[in-house]
Amino acid sequence: MPNLLPCRVLLISTVFLAETVFLTGFGVLHAEDRAVDVTKTDIATVQFATVQFAKDVRPILNEHCVACHGGVKQAGELSFGYKEHVFGPRESGGPIVVPGDPDASELIRRITTDDDTERMPPVDEHPEGLSAEEIATLVQWVRQGAEWGEHWSFVRPVRQPLPVVADPDWCRQRIDQYILARLEQEGLAPVPDAAADRWLRRVTLDLTGLPPAPVKRIRFIEDVREQGEEAYAVAVERLLDSPHFGERWASVWLDLVRYADSKGLGLDGRRSIWKYRDWVIDAFNRDLPYDQFTVEQLAGDLLPEATMDDLIATACHRSTQSNEEGGTDDEQFRVEAVVDRINTTWQVWQGLTFGCTQCHDHPYDPLRNIDYYHFMAFLNNTADSDLNSDAPLLQTPLDPSDYETARKLDQQMEAAEQTLWQTGRKLVTDQSLWLPVRGLEAAATDDTEMAVEPSEEGDQYYTVGTVYKNTGFVLNAPLPEELAQLTALRFTAFPLDPQASLANPEWGFVLSHLKAELVTPDSEEPVVIEFAHVIGDEPRPLLDPQLSLNAEHDDGFAAFSRIHHPRTAVFVLKHPVAVAPTTRLRVTLEFKRSSGGSHPLVARRGSLATSGDAQWTSWLNDAQLTDTRKTLAQLQERRKAIPSVALPVMRDRPENIARPTYRFDRGNYLNKAEQVSAGTPSVMPPLATEGVPNRLDFARWLVSDENPLTARVAVNRFWAQLFGIGLVETQEDFGSSGEPPSHPALLDDLAVRFSEDMNWSVKQLLREITLSSTYRQAAVIRSDIRERDPRNRLLAHGPRNRLPAETVRDQALAVAGLLSEKLHGPPVHPPLPAGVWDPFQAADKWTTAERNDENRYRRSIYVYMKRTIPYPMFASFDTPSREFCTVRRITSNTPLQALMTLNDATFEEAATALGRRMLAGAETLPEQLKFGLRLSTGREPSADEVAELESLYQQLLEQQPQAQQEPAAETSEEEERVTPEEQAMAIIAGVLLNLDEVLTK
Amino acid sequence: MPNLSLGSELAFRQLEQRTRRYFLGECATGLGALWLAGSNQTASAQGDATTATAALHHVPRAKRVIFLHMIGGPSQLELFDHKPELVRFDGKQCPKSFIESQQFPFIRGIPNMMGPQYPFAQHGESGAWVTDRLPHFSQVVDDVCFIKTMQTDQFNHGPAQLMVHSGQARIGAPSIGSWVTWGLGSENENLPGYIVLLSGGRPPRVGKSLWGSGFLPSVYQGVQCRSQGDPVLNVSNPQGVTRDARRLALDSLRRLNERNHQLFGDPETLTRIAQYELAFRMQETVPEAMDLSAEPEHIHQLYGAEPGKVAFANNCLLARRLIERGVRYVQLFDWGWDSHGSSEQQAINVGFRDKCREADKSMSALLIDLKQRGLLEDTLVVWSGEFGRTPMRESRNGERKFVGRDHNPHAFTLWMAGGGVKGGTTYGETDDMGYTAALDPVPLRDFHATLLHLLGIDHTRLTVPFQGLNQKLTTVIPARVIDKVLS
Repeated sequence: MPNLLPCRVLLISTVFLAETVFLTGFGVLHAEDRAVDVTKTDIATVQFATVQFAKDVRPILNEHCVACHGGVKQAGELSFGYKEHVFGPRESGGPIVVPGDPDASELIRRITTDDDTERMPPVDEHPEGLSAEEIATLVQWVRQGAEWGEHWSFVRPVRQPLPVVADPDWCRQRIDQYILARLEQEGLAPVPDAAADRWLRRVTLDLTGLPPAPVKRIRFIEDVREQGEEAYAVAVERLLDSPHFGERWASVWLDLVRYADSKGLGLDGRRSIWKYRDWVIDAFNRDLPYDQFTVEQLAGDLLPEATMDDLIATACHRSTQSNEEGGTDDEQFRVEAVVDRINTTWQVWQGLTFGCTQCHDHPYDPLRNIDYYHFMAFLNNTADSDLNSDAPLLQTPLDPSDYETARKLDQQMEAAEQTLWQTGRKLVTDQSLWLPVRGLEAAATDDTEMAVEPSEEGDQYYTVGTVYKNTGFVLNAPLPEELAQLTALRFTAFPLDPQASLANPEWGFVLSHLKAELVTPDSEEPVVIEFAHVIGDEPRPLLDPQLSLNAEHDDGFAAFSRIHHPRTAVFVLKHPVAVAPTTRLRVTLEFKRSSGGSHPLVARRGSLATSGDAQWTSWLNDAQLTDTRKTLAQLQERRKAIPSVALPVMRDRPENIARPTYRFDRGNYLNKAEQVSAGTPSVMPPLATEGVPNRLDFARWLVSDENPLTARVAVNRFWAQLFGIGLVETQEDFGSSGEPPSHPALLDDLAVRFSEDMNWSVKQLLREITLSSTYRQAAVIRSDIRERDPRNRLLAHGPRNRLPAETVRDQALAVAGLLSEKLHGPPVHPPLPAGVWDPFQAADKWTTAERNDENRYRRSIYVYMKRTIPYPMFASFDTPSREFCTVRRITSNTPLQALMTLNDATFEEAATALGRRMLAGAETLPEQLKFGLRLSTGREPSADEVAELESLYQQLLEQQPQAQQEPAAETSEEEERVTPEEQAMAIIAGVLLNLDEVLTK
Repeated sequence: MPNLSLGSELAFRQLEQRTRRYFLGECATGLGALWLAGSNQTASAQGDATTATAALHHVPRAKRVIFLHMIGGPSQLELFDHKPELVRFDGKQCPKSFIESQQFPFIRGIPNMMGPQYPFAQHGESGAWVTDRLPHFSQVVDDVCFIKTMQTDQFNHGPAQLMVHSGQARIGAPSIGSWVTWGLGSENENLPGYIVLLSGGRPPRVGKSLWGSGFLPSVYQGVQCRSQGDPVLNVSNPQGVTRDARRLALDSLRRLNERNHQLFGDPETLTRIAQYELAFRMQETVPEAMDLSAEPEHIHQLYGAEPGKVAFANNCLLARRLIERGVRYVQLFDWGWDSHGSSEQQAINVGFRDKCREADKSMSALLIDLKQRGLLEDTLVVWSGEFGRTPMRESRNGERKFVGRDHNPHAFTLWMAGGGVKGGTTYGETDDMGYTAALDPVPLRDFHATLLHLLGIDHTRLTVPFQGLNQKLTTVIPARVIDKVLS
């Protein structure tokens, strides 16, 4: 019970406390904080008169309160994530916060009371409690009016005024002004510009992932001398236009969308999805605006007039893992893929840890558990379902110049298929044409137990207990009395439990063969009915229903591999068959397929209906439709002639068999709660749509002007690639548990300009950053800065980071003169250390490209990326194995890396080639060494470096006789004669390729 | 490292920078001694084993781990879980309750029960029940603690193996060895702290993910060592490059890098110099550690090892050599224990019998050898599969010749020996059929908590923030240390 008297006393004491803190406490705190970590000063500089919720109050609540009063645990039904909990009426006691009145606010009472049993946070679990400063901040916040603000990243960014700087001449670009203002505020001076060629190496590696060729370097130095500043712009332009630009930036994107050339879990077999990788490369090269880039990948298939490229783009979310292990549950791994798509989408585009809400409300951010499932509804209806075939697949022409023709053919074929299907389907759904079959008798061809029950639409057979693989059902029934002739037979399959199967779909079926006979008591031989056509219940099924007529083929009409709804196929007779009243129908259904060699795919409940209507025969013989069928066949022939590769893509299931979406209780897919519709989180801007929103609406919502996160997250990612660390360091978490931005105004300004002024042009964004003074600075780490800002968040010097794995390898090949510049194509197989390739699936071969095959020397982005056997060079240099979305790589520095670049076959080959290149490139030893140094470091070498290597060369030559006494190593691909000079120079080249400077940008 | 529960990566990195600066600036002798990129290894880098464990939550009972994983799920009913009642039910239809609302990968319909295929007897002072398939192992049971009621929630190999090693069924979380080396570091600066050895002819199906570092830095991933070819990838110099030539080259490289450091002042450069020196030393230490021919004949005989072969016996002996040299975590995977009865190799009456013969001698030898060297006291040896097998017979496609059982996530046997484990005991009891836990079920997370506890680590405090959550090996579901297995 609140006690007035102590409260009044307390109020006085808190005011006193607060002011004391104001006078002394913050000053001290501020100074200390600055000494430790400059980025924290944003938070620490709490100006007492202007306590801001998001900046000052939210961090305190997150640190001390939300573990119990957050999204996960809402002790006392209180979560500090939700405004209504904090200000709303409460069942017991007064509101948590009464704006302007700390005295009446339960929050303040509970954090200041002397009563250990009441004081928050509870003393037993949090002995440290709240500090005096924190209490003062909260009190002041309430007194000020308890303004409630959403976390900064949920508020739409706006253009920011340019800060005033003392040295405007230093700034070449708008971004420089923000950087300099902060440096000036901290009393730091930027480092002078890098030498022209060092900048050139940096920007060439950053924009293309390759080192500058020596000739480019010489020309650039001349250009700078002649044209000055203009030369830099010209160089950046040239690099942005390079086809290698796309290769470099695609590899960043592929980490995010967990691209791999294998399927993951289980067998990790090959997946042919490289056409998507090429699409990403091209998208960067043609500077596809980031908004379109987004929409095409998430919903390219739903775009009106979707092009082949739009469809290829949707393979983005087909790079989720699938499980081919025998005996697995397809639905489990389908759901896991959908969950991965949700989490990845939110990580990549929104920088939010939305995945938390799969099981509960978000612990820190105002995202609710239910939001997760509303969002799932956008992605839950795609036709893929963890099938070994990776279906649905798009036949993608190998040659992009065929894209347009192929797409046109596909569209014509789809139109023809639609026409045929719809005209047929109209008859199928016309109930007046059908007579249900009653008096059904059912028996299985094996031990499966069967029963029959009547229903309004005719008798239904169903199985009791276990069904076996390869089972067959024989259905016997009198024909409906009214029936004079038979023109069509309808088979309907139901889930065994139709209601439960909507939420937890049962295994589906594949009707491998349907055989129908007319049995007349008088005649001995039953008459086998001849069918001409099967009309399934979807226009583009994964398996062809016609195959149910082919006894030799296991495929056919199917609910593959799960059944949610009743499924109908109609078998149209070639010719009408007259039936006598005593004629009985005998239908044999065969089910030969199983999932993963384990779960039999059998229609466990079904019914039959018959039609004698003449419309079926006329549908079959309709001249126009016959023409359409003929045209379709011709189109199919022409399409087949275009060499293509099958690519897994996104496609939605048709509405009549759409999967409903349910919330999972506690995130477990086996425990379905209420059904949900598609929608975006309520804390985010509303999604504009007419009718039921779909994936396309969602994709457009992501890149709409109102979305507060997409542009911020994108510019931050590009920034981080160039500077080694993002403006928001936690690129993966822009939520309130992530790090605040080091330069909030810069981030917002850049985000707004990226989406508006630059029209989402990535090249324009990169142009501005790479031409800035911030980026131009030398990478010299002054000792004062190293102490104060070890991670270079203030950018008082240029970026200096270890190159990514791909660049380390590509650079070595380029410097050695081995690199193939060929773009695109299927994965390649460069040398691999012996014993590494031991795939679980033996059929997955690694055939190493020989020395005369340029695929041995292709860029790293083309190397076959197998999830369970990562390419060792990439793995040791921190490339993720692409199981899940990886937002940033954490760079390590290990002896295994040294062993790799010293001894690995690729690097050995590169060193040998570079050594030969050096020997051939100049007459004298010093010139040869200088040539090598220039090639590898992209700058003019110093005399002492040359002297060091000269001395090494002499020592190595002196050692040579010794070397020849060594027993010859066992393995060598080609016994080439290596002269002592070549051997020595190869070792020197190896030194060059291992220089810290070379491995670093 | 003062705090195993790192507040954030930021703090982690700053600490790393700070220690590195101290280390490189003021502690010149330490140059090159940073095995783990200067993270929490500065103490052990000095070669002092005790300082590496200075940051533990409590006194450790084990300092290192050897984990023997029998890939495929060995049948507990033919090895350790003695079920005389099951004999009576042999050939009878399985009770409905066993299969209702249960998922099996392969069993369909109502299967028959199947009695144990090999006779059991009691051994040692503890009277532990073991089948006649393991005559050597029967001699060492008094050092062993059996947990008969291990449970997992995955019934397919890939996800279940991931559950055992990372606590999660999906790829992408750190493995136990990564957590442990991240927390404790290595005791040998010249060898990786976490080494993986494979045998059985096939790798585990999720491959490297089983020893991946997940969201921990990649230096903490397991390093696979091989009995054939380079024991560690690229540990040999290229053809024609002698060790002397390499030394000369590395000296030049160091001087050039030092020059570079003077120009740019980047501490990473110094770390890189150190790592190249370590790599050079590893080129000697790794082949030496992996060279079985240095072992005397009686040791080879004890294990049944044959140098040059890829075999479980060799790997057991290697594990001892690595442990002896201060490697923190040695993980063995032996493929071929998936006894469905669908082929000769997968038959309990054929392939399984052969696997037992191969494994029996060497896994027992490992315990004997560790013990005679005084290493068993502070080395934890764990033996397990990823799940158990059903008391029902699986007869896929009506197979009669080969006998097998399907996967059973509800009960499997794991045993531990050595550091801090109460030998000669059994924990947990399965039902009369050995199908599920009747008494004291042990989910994998409890085993993980216990393992960490033995190493001196509180599982609730070994956390790293990732995707908005303080991630732990034991995940978000509460886990407990099984006190009763501790000595």
